[in-house]
Amino acid sequence: MIDKTETNLATSLAELTATHTHTTIETLLRRWALRYGLRSIAYLGFGFVNSVEPFLAVTYSADWVEHYKQQRYLEIDPVIRVGMGRLLPLDWEEFGRHEGRIQMFFGEACEFGLGRRGLTIPVHGRGGDRALFTITADLSHKQWIAKKLAFMRDFQLLAVHLHDKVLELEGRPIPRSQLSPRELECLQWTAEGKTAWECSVILGLSEHTVRCYLESARHKLNASSNTHAISIAYRSGVLFPPL
Amino acid sequence: MIVAIESVDQNKHPKLFDQMFQMRAEVFADRLGWDVTVENGREIDRFDTEDPLYLFSVDDQPGQLRGAVRLLPTTGPNMLRDVFSVLMPGGTVESPLIWESSRFAVNPRIFRTQDRAEANHTVNRTTVELLCGMVEAGQKAGIEHIVSVFDARMARIFRSIDCRYEQIGTPARIGKTMTYAGLFEISDAMRERLGAAGNIEAPVLATSIEALRPARNPHAPAA
Repeated sequence: MIDKTETNLATSLAELTATHTHTTIETLLRRWALRYGLRSIAYLGFGFVNSVEPFLAVTYSADWVEHYKQQRYLEIDPVIRVGMGRLLPLDWEEFGRHEGRIQMFFGEACEFGLGRRGLTIPVHGRGGDRALFTITADLSHKQWIAKKLAFMRDFQLLAVHLHDKVLELEGRPIPRSQLSPRELECLQWTAEGKTAWECSVILGLSEHTVRCYLESARHKLNASSNTHAISIAYRSGVLFPPL
Repeated sequence: MIVAIESVDQNKHPKLFDQMFQMRAEVFADRLGWDVTVENGREIDRFDTEDPLYLFSVDDQPGQLRGAVRLLPTTGPNMLRDVFSVLMPGGTVESPLIWESSRFAVNPRIFRTQDRAEANHTVNRTTVELLCGMVEAGQKAGIEHIVSVFDARMARIFRSIDCRYEQIGTPARIGKTMTYAGLFEISDAMRERLGAAGNIEAPVLATSIEALRPARNPHAPAA
């Protein structure tokens, strides 16, 4: 059985890896939006050493971008004001809509086709750099609740990797973290076809710890699955059969 | 009750944050003698400026702080990578889906307002409640793992309340303190074990922080 969720993440990450210019990032975001059934995706990165200007890539209509600028919404946009200082993903439903101008802002965002639901994911970069990654969708409350956790998982990963990509394109690549010896061992045994439980027995770790090392290894290798991580590790020559 | 408050909302809860920074000075500097910086009786470090999420254990009378803990994503600056890297000589774990917890503390003032038996009970309950809060907050964000640095004293407490963890990396003596890195599973099973140990079945994480806010003036004009 093919897990559609995993395929979505794998395809999206592969597209990201194959992106080499600033100008194609918005095209990439459009593809992701289509794949996940979203109305829009926006990335806003701050705190890069080389430039004072934030890096912005959005799939919004030109009309909304123009309207947003004209209305000087940057000054009141609660997503940006609140999102930049957060750790948890921010569901737009958290915002009270009682403040007049903010209510108008969300109402107009909806009219301009952003949809009724929004989720903003804060990215904490290693050098104190930050980004906000926002998705919007036009779903009923019930549909939104059903999909939100899956969106949060995939897009927390995609947001961090997109942020790394932007840093790289901005001429400030983050040196990729090396796999730790434990992460390598877990990958080696997984490559031999062992389950997390079998790895845990072989390595004398708990199964949960094995899963955590694999999660960390996937992140460090920019991989969407264990299989993907193994293939990347082989190609880059860091993975050998277990001794 | 556990309330989760983001750094960005600190100015809405100045008293609670101030109580926490004072409590941390009392616990980490005065009682445990850790090498932390205390100014004006408050312990604040550079990770507090990295926009962590804080969990507060507060009692039913609003405003009284029983304990607190700080959470950071392992992608950004964090203590294990940036301060305690000696514990993980091969490199630390890193992912937006792995958080780090730090500055876990229970308020020693509990012992001043309650008799010894009652205070011990409150301390135990607060510890379990904070850990339950970590599991609930993590699960809400799709997190499955929390990594943390702690000392032998905390390790004993974790064992006594069936809060299982796996030691990772290499323990090291830092100052006077034997220091460990541990990995905690954020799962229903973990929440159930903690619930059984502390007799806490119902969710502890408050769904809104309205309860802590001063009542709005009903006559104030809408903004």
